[in-house]
Amino acid sequence: MKLIDRYNRISLLVTIAIIIVTGFVYYLTISYILTNRVDRDLVVEENEIFAYVKLNDKLPQVFKSDGLKIRFTASATDSITRTFGNTLFYNEEENEQEAGRMLTSSVKVEGKTYRIEITESKVETEYLIRFIFFITLGIILVLLTLLLIINRILVRRLWKPFYRILEGIKLFNVADKNGIHPVASNIDEFRDLNMEVTAMSGRVMNDYQSLKGFVENAAHELMTPLAVINSKLDTLMQVGEMTDKQGAIISEVYDTVGRLKKLNRSMLLLSRIENKLLAEPEIIDLLGFIEHKISEFHELLAERDIVVNQDLQPCQVTINRDLLTVMLNNLLGNAILHNIKNGNIGIRLNKNELLIANTGSGTALNEQKVLQRFYKSSESEGSGLGLTLVKEICDNYGYVFNYNFKDGLHAFEIKFQ
Amino acid sequence: MSFETIVKVLVIEDEPGLRDSIRDYFTEGGNICETANDFESAIQKINLYRYDCILLDITLPNGSGLDILESLKANHHPDGVLIISAKNSLDDRLHGLDLGADDYLTKPFHLSELKARVMAIVRRKSFNGNREIIFNEITVDLLAKQVEVSHTPVKLTKKEYALLLYFIANKGKVISKNAIAEHLWGDEIDISDNFDFIYSHIKNLRKKLMDAGSGDYIQSTYGMGYKFSDH
Repeated sequence: MKLIDRYNRISLLVTIAIIIVTGFVYYLTISYILTNRVDRDLVVEENEIFAYVKLNDKLPQVFKSDGLKIRFTASATDSITRTFGNTLFYNEEENEQEAGRMLTSSVKVEGKTYRIEITESKVETEYLIRFIFFITLGIILVLLTLLLIINRILVRRLWKPFYRILEGIKLFNVADKNGIHPVASNIDEFRDLNMEVTAMSGRVMNDYQSLKGFVENAAHELMTPLAVINSKLDTLMQVGEMTDKQGAIISEVYDTVGRLKKLNRSMLLLSRIENKLLAEPEIIDLLGFIEHKISEFHELLAERDIVVNQDLQPCQVTINRDLLTVMLNNLLGNAILHNIKNGNIGIRLNKNELLIANTGSGTALNEQKVLQRFYKSSESEGSGLGLTLVKEICDNYGYVFNYNFKDGLHAFEIKFQ
Repeated sequence: MSFETIVKVLVIEDEPGLRDSIRDYFTEGGNICETANDFESAIQKINLYRYDCILLDITLPNGSGLDILESLKANHHPDGVLIISAKNSLDDRLHGLDLGADDYLTKPFHLSELKARVMAIVRRKSFNGNREIIFNEITVDLLAKQVEVSHTPVKLTKKEYALLLYFIANKGKVISKNAIAEHLWGDEIDISDNFDFIYSHIKNLRKKLMDAGSGDYIQSTYGMGYKFSDH
């Protein structure tokens, strides 16, 4: 739920509750005041009766008047309490019952007690109250609607810098050279937020760059000692007499240095791709390139009696040649090395995709893990970076790289669009 | 014997361990290998002497190997140049080749690979127009890419041909199986766990040569690698 909706919902509920309560209070107050006024009229009438009786010692003539009725009745008892009360008032002209107010009192004329009932119609008062009530309600509704609309427009405009900062954070990528762009705003909170976010992105990028720099430098610096070890092993091998056991040990050390070298190179290449430090791409005829690669791997294929089924159509890609080489060496190399004797490899190429599928172990690799760095199956002796490199290269050129396992075939697929 | 047996090489490299290994590997068989360990001594040497090939490290104390390369080219010295560098940044490589280096090898490398590359440069640079390598009764025609044993043509596959050239360039040396695999298939493919196919390749090459009447020159050495030698 958006902040503004949440805010509107709460404020609307509170406003409605307050309006209901104040409405009641308002109604009661006005009603009370107006009833009081009617009561005063009744008292004035009563006093007039008393004054007349005192002067003439007889009951006054009762005239019909609008909205006011006076009735005298002879009473058996003396004790009539003087009370105000609500009653119904019969309007002869309109021929209907209306709300009314009645004062019951008594007067003594020539020793006889008379009950006085003075009734006044309250219909005017009721009209007034209703009138006031509806006007007030109307004003409140108009006001509320206006407030909601204004809030919506105003708040949306006020929050604009916030949404732009948010957009910047969403698009932020540490590997990118450009950080979060500052957003102009004259609201303190947003300016603060903006400043902090911009500064933070700068710090994060700096840290990331120095970390990357460190990885790259470390990998570079390792190359020279590795070169020394490698060259010393080459020199050691030239020493004439040695036992087969010694030879085997030297061989193992040599292999291990080779693995370390490959690992290092892959790390350097990865960081280079991520930093986009690559030479310009060129247009390459992928069909010819793949055919050349297959012939290059001919002996490896023959060694294991692996059959290559090709379904190749012309396809041109714009890519850096070295990266394409890395990619195909890894994909084809994997397809050969993780294959079985008398297995097969299917290669399909068309304008939209390249698919390389091979027989191998009968179980699927973990789709999620297979592209992770340093993931390798238990029998693999590779660096664990091969497919990661392929994935990174694909990402770099906007290709989609997928793995799936179907009908006993491990299929790696690159979609160019 | 081949005309290119004796070569004169200068190694410009600040890392003593590597420099000494290269020197040891190159000096045998009458070859001359001189060394320089920093920018100034390297400049001195290249101004005084000519070499068949200069092995040039890019990052040196007090200067860049690329400046040495520029100085060589500015003075029109004909020396072959092979850059050896820990950096394999493509820019660096292209830059070096643009400046006129003949080849580029990234550290770490196999000494046998270095030797083969140097010999290839020396062959390309040689002015006598001799495009043949001769090893006893084996003759390799570099232009036609054909091999003869005592004037009998031997039909070799592309890889077998490359393997033979690699062996001859490193004759008398033990070459590791890794170095052979990397030379033939590049170093990006993980083949460290499988050298069977190298064995069968070498077996085939040896058989073809011997069938044509050559001596048995290829020997396996202590399981580490192979040696091409006539004694």
